[in-house]
Amino acid sequence: MYRYDEFDAAFVRARTGQFANQVERRLKGEISEEQFRPLRLMNGLYLQLHAYMLRIAVPYGTLRSQQMRKLAHVARTHDRGYGHFTTRQNIQFNWPRLKDVPVILSELASVEMHAIQTSGNCIRNVTTDQFAGAAHDEIIDPRPVGEIIRQWSSLHPEFSYLPRKFKIALNGAPHDRAAIRFHDIGLQATTNGDGDIGWEVWVGGGLGRTPMVAKLINSFVPHEHLLAYLESIVRVYNRYGRRDNKFKARIKILVHEEGLETIKGQVEAEFAEMRGGQLTLPQEELDRISAYFAPPAFSALPDTPVDIAREDILDPVYARWLRHNLNRHVQPGYTSLTISLKPVGGSPGDATAEQMEAVADLAERYSFDELRVTHEQNLVLPHVAIRDLRAVYDGLVAVKLAEGNAGLITDIICCPGMDFCSLATARSIPIAQAISQKFAAPERQKDIGDLKIKISGCINACGHHHVGHIGVLGVEKKGEELYQITLGGDATENASVGKILGPGFDADGVPGAIETLVETYLARRENAQENFIAAYRRLGEAPFKEALYGNG
Amino acid sequence: MAMASTLHSDRQPDKLRSLGIVALNGMFDEMDAVGVMRQAVAEILPGDVAIVSSFGADSVVLLHIAAQVDPSLPIYFLETGKHFPETLAYVEQLKKQLGLINVTAIHPAPHDLARFDPDGDLWETDPDSCCHIRKTEPLEPITEQFGGWVTGRKRFQTKERGVLPHFELTSDDRIKINPLAYFNDADVAAYKAEHDLPEHPLYSHGYKSIGCAPCTSVVAEGEDPRAGRWRGLNKKECGIHYDFSGAIASPMNAADKYSLFKDGTFVADPFRVWDETMVAGEARYAHVPLPVFLENREAFLANPHPLGLLVSPGDRVEDAEADLGRFVSIAIKFPAFTDGRGYSTARLLTERYQYANELRAVGDILQDQIPLMRRCGINAFVITHKPTREALIENRLPEVNIFYQPVGTSEVPVGTRPYLRRAS
Repeated sequence: MYRYDEFDAAFVRARTGQFANQVERRLKGEISEEQFRPLRLMNGLYLQLHAYMLRIAVPYGTLRSQQMRKLAHVARTHDRGYGHFTTRQNIQFNWPRLKDVPVILSELASVEMHAIQTSGNCIRNVTTDQFAGAAHDEIIDPRPVGEIIRQWSSLHPEFSYLPRKFKIALNGAPHDRAAIRFHDIGLQATTNGDGDIGWEVWVGGGLGRTPMVAKLINSFVPHEHLLAYLESIVRVYNRYGRRDNKFKARIKILVHEEGLETIKGQVEAEFAEMRGGQLTLPQEELDRISAYFAPPAFSALPDTPVDIAREDILDPVYARWLRHNLNRHVQPGYTSLTISLKPVGGSPGDATAEQMEAVADLAERYSFDELRVTHEQNLVLPHVAIRDLRAVYDGLVAVKLAEGNAGLITDIICCPGMDFCSLATARSIPIAQAISQKFAAPERQKDIGDLKIKISGCINACGHHHVGHIGVLGVEKKGEELYQITLGGDATENASVGKILGPGFDADGVPGAIETLVETYLARRENAQENFIAAYRRLGEAPFKEALYGNG
Repeated sequence: MAMASTLHSDRQPDKLRSLGIVALNGMFDEMDAVGVMRQAVAEILPGDVAIVSSFGADSVVLLHIAAQVDPSLPIYFLETGKHFPETLAYVEQLKKQLGLINVTAIHPAPHDLARFDPDGDLWETDPDSCCHIRKTEPLEPITEQFGGWVTGRKRFQTKERGVLPHFELTSDDRIKINPLAYFNDADVAAYKAEHDLPEHPLYSHGYKSIGCAPCTSVVAEGEDPRAGRWRGLNKKECGIHYDFSGAIASPMNAADKYSLFKDGTFVADPFRVWDETMVAGEARYAHVPLPVFLENREAFLANPHPLGLLVSPGDRVEDAEADLGRFVSIAIKFPAFTDGRGYSTARLLTERYQYANELRAVGDILQDQIPLMRRCGINAFVITHKPTREALIENRLPEVNIFYQPVGTSEVPVGTRPYLRRAS
């Protein structure tokens, strides 16, 4: 994975020093909170309900064990012993003190980490497929280009005060595991007629209060022109994106209001000026960065299948974990495994300092020192030899991280909600906990199969409810929390936005309503291979609506 | 003389030569002005000394001393074009009466006047620049020809001159000779009386220190004689006496008064805000809003005066692409520091359209944005926010000065990503 050179290290040190100066000026009262706000946001610092929240970047979701240990250290020293992994492949600490933040940042800098542009109206931390560089179905490892985009976008002087935040995701396999169609710019690896690899560019996707599926603006941009194309899009957005209304300021609204053809015309005109200019990316530089992401020194291992049927008899809990938490690896004898941060009844995405350290140890010993954070708020050991699976599993059991529920109904994406967030209008974590308790029985989860539930505590949709097969949105109505249920959302290459079925439910009613939807699916599916979203697409909303609200 | 050659041979002022200066200063009695002058002209720098004189209210004492020592000593008179007629008459009178045979008038460069002060009213908006083109610039080629200069400066004249010695070593290794350093007002009057020297014709009208007509006014009884110079402005020196003890050239004084930060200092701003009463064909030194310019394009292009352009967020600078060279200044408006449209405007102007004159940011600007603005090509800032002004003057902006991406026309910082480094 990428290692900082002198330049990167000096850059992060300078940034940390700059922010220390800004914090000092704020503490002395030389700048107002209003003036400080965009500065702290661009350094990942939010003001939450109870305290400041610090969001640390995990570029394209990749970590070394040393970095994970540092996060554990921060959790223990400056927070309350835990951290929260987010849907942006980042980690948040909910209880740092302002005066400690520069210290935390300089600790992070010592392990090549930072909080740059994890918030604010700038280009945010770039995200990608958690199995990048390991998955069997990959066209290209997206991380080298992700790193180049990270560099290009870091403290970009033209794009530090955009109309609104700007998120870029990229995906290297045909199967979209990075939800690129719900980002401001989504990049999908593809090949052209000559067999060259380049990028489809999707623009104007997003969730929030106005969910939109991105539109294809260019079907093939080669690597060498990618930065010029990105700069063209962001310049058009910076100049013409709406600034009169915060809720209409994302590029998705610009694309929607002006029309894709207008925006495409402006972008292509800019690109015609920039193409071949100073942003041209030479192959040597792509090669240089790619070398950092070369596959680790895999052993030549036989292509042993994992014998789950045998474990079903010997150790059903282990078998369950094997069945659901592995992802096929490109290298024979290896697998990628998901460490679920979704224990039944727990807070989705949270990990304690001890758990982080245990995972770091396992990564160091069994996964070539590599770790990933997923946008579904789990962790991944990307390169584990199949023969080591039992040892890794035992290590996870010891720290209560061996939940075998990846991709199942209890693997819920959930925002922090009103328990932490100042924007939230309803609680979300307790809803997730109640749902996972309702469906706790492993056999039942297995029977239900792949089903993505996503919960947001407000309309800003940090819990991605729009793209949940079942989505739950908490709103406040007449002083009461009310939960709307959506159906049919999908974040993959078959992107769709979920539809609201009918009136909302109170908090106590949500698990029962979801159970009704699940029972309807189980009763109506063609067979066990037809998963929830496929059945919904075949059946339409009618049977689900009827089950929830009756014929009336 | 040995000391002279030592002083003048090597262009680096060092401790030894500074000590030589100290020794020279110890050689003369405080009031021995003629002795100082004679030593300088005949011994230290023979043939290498000149005088710049304003032929003002008390110039006559120094000129009289010079005439006693050497009537052919080169004397330069800065004919700024802004003198009182009485001053010009006084020059002729003194030449005759004192027998000065080597007085030369130096004039400002016509092209500078045409460019910077076509209407002759620059003194009104920007007296620093006026002094610069009418005094400092014309004097420069003359200065280079001499190793030493005799001045009429006196300790009592301004606070900054309070420790003035007879001999000074300047930073460019010349010697300034100040024979009148210890003279006070009474000494000057006594000397004039003793030698029956003619007064400047305006002296009896209340002018105690006389420079250019527009920037000189009468002083009241008991007032500092130089109070009439640049009255009401925070300005005490015209720029030609910069070297003395550093204090005279301090930008901090100017900073209190001016809000345009440019080339490392706060300077007077000749530009005004555009208002509805201005007329396209006659306006000058105003930033014309881009839509107003486009509406009256022909009239503005026919206007011979210096003009600027104001680009607000939402304005399309490409609409004025062909005419950008007409403007000596472009102002980019930042109505709120969170509105980043001006950054794109600045890059388009400087990178795509090669606009190279003054590009200033106006509006809501804090110290944290200035480094980003500079990278995008902005080279001047109108700043009233006090902490930001202080940060600019002290040059301590919170800045990350290594860059991942190429931006701007001259950005080739050491250590920049090789693949993003400019070819040039």
